[in-house]
Amino acid sequence: MTAGDENLGEMLARRGFGRRGLLKFAFAMTASLALPPALAAAMAENLAAAKRQSVIWLSFQECTGCLETLLRTDSPTIAGLIFDFISLDYQEALMAASGSAAELTLRQAVAANKGKFLLAIDGSVPVADGGVYSLTGGKSNVSMLEEIAPDAAAILAIGTCAAYGGIPKAYPNPTGAVGVEDVITDKPIVNIPGCPPIPEVLSGVLVYFVSFGRLPDLDERKRPLAYFGTTIHDQCYRRPYYDQGKFAKSFDDEGARQGWCLFELGCKGPTTHNACASLKWNDGTSFPIESGHGCLGCSEPDFWDQEGGFYTSLAGGAGPGWRESGIAAAVGIAGGAAAAFAARRKTPEAQE
Amino acid sequence: MTLLAFARGPAMQVATLVLIVGMFWRLSGILLLRRRVAHAAARNPFAVRLLGGAVTIVTRTIPRRTFWPRVGAGVALSYVFHIGLFIVLFGGAPHILVIYELFGVSWPDLPKGVVVVASGITLAALILLLVRRVTHPVLKMLSTPDDYISWVIVFLPVATGILLSGETIAGYGTLLALHILSIEALMIWLPFGKLMHVTLVFAGRFMLGHNFSRKGAAT
Amino acid sequence: MAARRVKNFDVFSVDGLVDALLMEVAALLENFLAHKRPGIIDLLGLPLSAACLAALEERLGEGEIAVLLRVSGESHIRETRFPGVWWTRHLDETGRVVALLIEVADVPEILRADPVDMQHSLRRLGEATNFSLARPAR
Repeated sequence: MTAGDENLGEMLARRGFGRRGLLKFAFAMTASLALPPALAAAMAENLAAAKRQSVIWLSFQECTGCLETLLRTDSPTIAGLIFDFISLDYQEALMAASGSAAELTLRQAVAANKGKFLLAIDGSVPVADGGVYSLTGGKSNVSMLEEIAPDAAAILAIGTCAAYGGIPKAYPNPTGAVGVEDVITDKPIVNIPGCPPIPEVLSGVLVYFVSFGRLPDLDERKRPLAYFGTTIHDQCYRRPYYDQGKFAKSFDDEGARQGWCLFELGCKGPTTHNACASLKWNDGTSFPIESGHGCLGCSEPDFWDQEGGFYTSLAGGAGPGWRESGIAAAVGIAGGAAAAFAARRKTPEAQE
Repeated sequence: MTLLAFARGPAMQVATLVLIVGMFWRLSGILLLRRRVAHAAARNPFAVRLLGGAVTIVTRTIPRRTFWPRVGAGVALSYVFHIGLFIVLFGGAPHILVIYELFGVSWPDLPKGVVVVASGITLAALILLLVRRVTHPVLKMLSTPDDYISWVIVFLPVATGILLSGETIAGYGTLLALHILSIEALMIWLPFGKLMHVTLVFAGRFMLGHNFSRKGAAT
Repeated sequence: MAARRVKNFDVFSVDGLVDALLMEVAALLENFLAHKRPGIIDLLGLPLSAACLAALEERLGEGEIAVLLRVSGESHIRETRFPGVWWTRHLDETGRVVALLIEVADVPEILRADPVDMQHSLRRLGEATNFSLARPAR
């Protein structure tokens, strides 16, 4: 269950996959990671010489959507090669062991790869009431994380729940859910947000790590710049309609059918950083806007609680309701009247 | 909480409530003040006096010819600014969207190019108005901090709005947050300074016209 | 870019971006001739419209060599009508383009057989013929 002694090049060669295939894979990855293509040769060489990277995957307070999205690449595309480059030494949904055998598996995997494994987390970490709201084998997520993280080389927080708290963190957050970065502060962390994240992003980060031995460049929210450096709005194919002021006003109206911009229907593309508009989903098939629905902003923190919800545009906010406004008006009139009458008392000469 | 979430959330709540409380306070306070009693009999019936008030709102929009050499430039520049701002506020698609999401009413927007040109002219007029204020010998002496604060509070939404529509200098999220925050600052300041002229200019003209009509003077 | 030193450019185009890319190719050619260093342009990483890409491909044209590489899906590598300038399209198993490159070299790296792979060939030939043909790796 530990990463074997032979390097990746030998392992692939045994299966008839030669250096050309590795170089082609490297070209695909440099294109995906927005690296200079001249690096592809070095990437292929490094991959050939590398050992299988141990990955330990812990699932916390999650819906399993992030794991499913990674597995549902339905054809063995080039990016699927990543499963050959990593050794998934622990993953509760996929492995055969359960119960105490699973706990043993985890301990052995950590011990055998101490200091070298990548710790992949999906799901948020509930910390309220000592973390009782999510337990595995009686152990809370937060204690598992605090116990295992120190031995990891780096942490991958996969999905918006692991990165920023996600849907469990939405108001009123009864379980005290937080992102991994709020629990572990002394380890390199990569956030790969999205609800779910795009599978190619995870492959890209893993390949970069295995090839170059370090994490790719990150932005201030710890997201890989190669995939989260631009917003949906920057890459959206409907951008010309936005620039021309052609907006769909309601779902299935004439504008919507013409494929016009969805800004007025609540699209959060301008403030959402992700690669959906360029990489798209299901091997480049489509993405929400292309299917006629505005971006939810699912790779940004606290998107579930965003003001006004998914269908209020970025221009609109909520503000106080009519009742509060009415009370405010009454308060204003009362205050103004009081001030006026106080002033009237001071000027008695003019009698009405 | 991000700056944008703050701007669209708690800040919007506070700013709107302060605006409402402030405006109603100031207006009711002014209306309920004691006025000088006119002991002479009214020369016109009440209905005519009301009409006189309304008419004066319109007739005072253009200064009398004798005053044109003295105030003409300032009034013209001011109108350029106000009309430009009106075009941007009520013809620009994102503002129509705000009104629609608040009140459920909307109307067709103007072409984006028209709004862009209008916003540029508005900004230029606003800057020239400040230049006039600091160079004009009389205006300079009459100006108070209120005037300058009010100018800055109007300048910021116009400038941030232009940057936002051009999506330049900073990210969209940051620019949008700054634009909304600058408008919230305007909302909070409006009832308490010179900006209250948005209501008082009409109230003032109306009272003037009413009083003139009462005396039988032309309105 | 050594644009000013390039003379006698026999391609003439009204599309500025295509011209700029062709000048980049020329610069890479000069670099290869001087220092034997191959150059690659990642076309998917550039903001090129479909029309621009088509114009560029048409301007570079087809040369003497067309190669079909079959690994993890197909790859089409062909020399353009400018020797030393290659047009490479890598597709995955579903036919989706995963990389689109202009390569400037005597021969694209991916076409060469790797010495490690050739060692494996030696070993496998030995197994196939029952002779021990493998020599220790140098």
